[in-house]
Amino acid sequence: MTGGWDRVEPLLAHVERPARYIDSEFGAVHRGEASYRVALLYPDTYELGMANQAIAILYDRLNAVEGVGAERVFVPASDMASALRNSGVPLLTLEDSRPVAACDLFGITLPYELSCTNVLEAIDLAGLPLHARDRDERHPLIVGGGPCAYDPEPLADFFDAFLIGEGEEAVADIVAAHRAAKDSGMSRSDLLASLALIPGVYVPSLYEPAAGGAAALPRPGTGAPAVVLKRVVKDFDAVRSPACPVVPYMDVVHDRATIEVLRGCTRGCRFCQAGMIYRPVRERSADSVVRDALAQLRCTGQEELSLSSLSTTDHSAIEEILRRLGVALRGRAVNVGLPSLRVDAFGVAMARLVGEGARGGLTFAPEAGTQRMRDVINKNVTEQDLLSTVETAFDAGWRRLKLYFMLGLPTETDEDIRGIGRLVAKVLEVARKATPPAQRGGMRIAVSVSTFVPKAHTPFQWEGQLTLEEVKHRQMVLRESMPRKGVDLHWHDPEVSFVEGALARGGRELAPVIEHAWRSGGGFDAWTEKFSLKRWLEAFEAAGIDPVALASEPRDPMRALPWSHISSGVSEDYLALEREAALTGASTPDCSFDGCTDCGACPALGADIVLAGGHRG
Amino acid sequence: MADMPFRLRVSFVKNGRLRFLSHLEVVHALERAVRRTELEYAVTQGFNPRMKIAFGPALPVGTAGLDEAFDLWLARLVPSDEAYRMLRASTPEGLAPTEARYVNERGPSLTAAMTLASYEVVVEDPGMGPGRFAEALAGVIGSGSLAIEHKGAHKVYDLTVCLPEGAQVSEEPGRGVVSMTVRMGAWGSLRPEALVREALGRMDAQEASVAVTRTRLRPEEAPAARG
Repeated sequence: MTGGWDRVEPLLAHVERPARYIDSEFGAVHRGEASYRVALLYPDTYELGMANQAIAILYDRLNAVEGVGAERVFVPASDMASALRNSGVPLLTLEDSRPVAACDLFGITLPYELSCTNVLEAIDLAGLPLHARDRDERHPLIVGGGPCAYDPEPLADFFDAFLIGEGEEAVADIVAAHRAAKDSGMSRSDLLASLALIPGVYVPSLYEPAAGGAAALPRPGTGAPAVVLKRVVKDFDAVRSPACPVVPYMDVVHDRATIEVLRGCTRGCRFCQAGMIYRPVRERSADSVVRDALAQLRCTGQEELSLSSLSTTDHSAIEEILRRLGVALRGRAVNVGLPSLRVDAFGVAMARLVGEGARGGLTFAPEAGTQRMRDVINKNVTEQDLLSTVETAFDAGWRRLKLYFMLGLPTETDEDIRGIGRLVAKVLEVARKATPPAQRGGMRIAVSVSTFVPKAHTPFQWEGQLTLEEVKHRQMVLRESMPRKGVDLHWHDPEVSFVEGALARGGRELAPVIEHAWRSGGGFDAWTEKFSLKRWLEAFEAAGIDPVALASEPRDPMRALPWSHISSGVSEDYLALEREAALTGASTPDCSFDGCTDCGACPALGADIVLAGGHRG
Repeated sequence: MADMPFRLRVSFVKNGRLRFLSHLEVVHALERAVRRTELEYAVTQGFNPRMKIAFGPALPVGTAGLDEAFDLWLARLVPSDEAYRMLRASTPEGLAPTEARYVNERGPSLTAAMTLASYEVVVEDPGMGPGRFAEALAGVIGSGSLAIEHKGAHKVYDLTVCLPEGAQVSEEPGRGVVSMTVRMGAWGSLRPEALVREALGRMDAQEASVAVTRTRLRPEEAPAARG
């Protein structure tokens, strides 16, 4: 099918980075004969979306289904979006330049809250009605998934359904139900009712939004479950990584082969949504990881391999995996990367094993500056852990270090903030001492500070977020406490975090806010240079909603929350107990090392912790 | 650098959709195509080992090429026809190799050797009448120099040096085809599109579509067939 391409090609001489729109990459799948068409959208530009593993995995899985063709869609940059609109060309898939509106299923991953305006932009560019209620059997079924689907309510009006949790197995169920519905000429409303019976699928139109921001309840007689429990892949080792993912031409974010070595993390950091929603920990075996890594490198020709997960150095067989890969890749000039390092000597030893020493830097996330604060968030890392790890690393030849901290964590005082400055000063001193004087000029210590945003399904989901004024005050305290020399200090834009916070824990009442922000020119809001606080404040005001109250007022733990009908398997009781433990500074161990902590995920999901080496630690 | 005796010169195309790639994107894509083969490519020494590979002069985004080249150093000799077959199988259609042969390891680099580039430029505009475009282009070339603003930089090209053989135009209503050979050197590389656009500007046809293809790269001393 070239009709669409003939309309796109003349536009490419006039837009930036045309490689975003040309398809034809090695590994791109063209299934002209398929009878069921899926368009998979990452709601940002090509170079960000090509890094997304969810899209890569679903693309691989769906194209393996008989008669199904999955194609990629990214949000055109504003120059291309204008060119498309001016020429009357709708949003097209990359592979076959097919109108998205002509596909059967439009799957949209929701990676961060501020991608919501891009979601509306894509639906509109596709020429589809924005609201689910205005769409019918003639339109593709629009299904969302990903981390933001855990509080789907702000986007509920725009989607036909959401998949909560892991998609590897669930997408095939959704496609099968939709194909059966098409074959039997089922109406859209009957189709939605049948989708609601698939485990993990949430169909918002079958639920009545409750007043006052409480959870939506299923309409009587629909058969939709009162609580939608996330999907989980119990036997994660049996799921092969994509053997031949698409190899981009342009320089994309994380341009490398990626193998997910394990899923889930139970270190239990209380601010971390990923640590709660991806439970339980499931490791893939060393044999599977090495097999899939070598297959993917061979097929793609990538020069870098990332062993990804939330805590790769926690994998019980990581040392063996790295040893085997090191031998197998000798002489091929392939770099192996570990994206997340534990703050201990073992983490540094693993980084040495992959030869990271001379090149890249090391990244650690102590998150807070005082032991009291780290106990509150359950970051089980001591100052001594960090300092001795830094010493080991600089002794071993590293010269670049990046440290992540958060501002505005629950119970934080100015003293905790000054603690960040003091800790960084100590790190600097230890690093200097471990570095020969002649090499100290090459030392780089970067400190990146974000604003804490309370997230749904975490022990801090009831907490308030700092107001913008308070963030500015605390940033000043931090700046004054930082060592004057030798540190590059970076901030997350607090205005972006503020809007993120207001959107992250909202209900259905936010739909008009998002629509207003998009209609008044919003898009690519996660890009600081495109973000406009003024536009968002106007959008909230037009809808009569106070974003400060939404983001900053603590929630009543006795009342249901807008996402209480969505479950990650971790019980709300456990989250409440963890919150109490936070306020008393009591720590909770990692169940993958030290035994069950009764979060509820395993029994609720019928799943279990899987450790490749039998045990950790 | 230790001796790397096996220097394979690969000719390739850049066409179709892939003409929209930048030079760096082409380099990256072809390095990965090499990695997808069984070829034992040589690797540079040092902390950050890289494949030993070198490319000819860059082609801009949007410009196609019929006879581009890169040199790949191999650690183990493989018959050139076999190497070609492997690369052909691992490379996307729009960057397909057309030939692979071993060349003298001590010879000059591709960028130093290949100083003459032949182009074919297809211009389409409803306002183009017979002779008008050829006349406008001759006017530009006859002026002897071309001043260009590109990405904020100002440059003046001496056309008597850059266009040693002038330009040949064949024209029909609505369409013109220009053949020219550009000499590259320390002054850089004149973009044929810039020259053609200057002529189009003189005849008020700024909206014309211009498609550029580099048809051949060759050294100045040896205009005879490659081999």
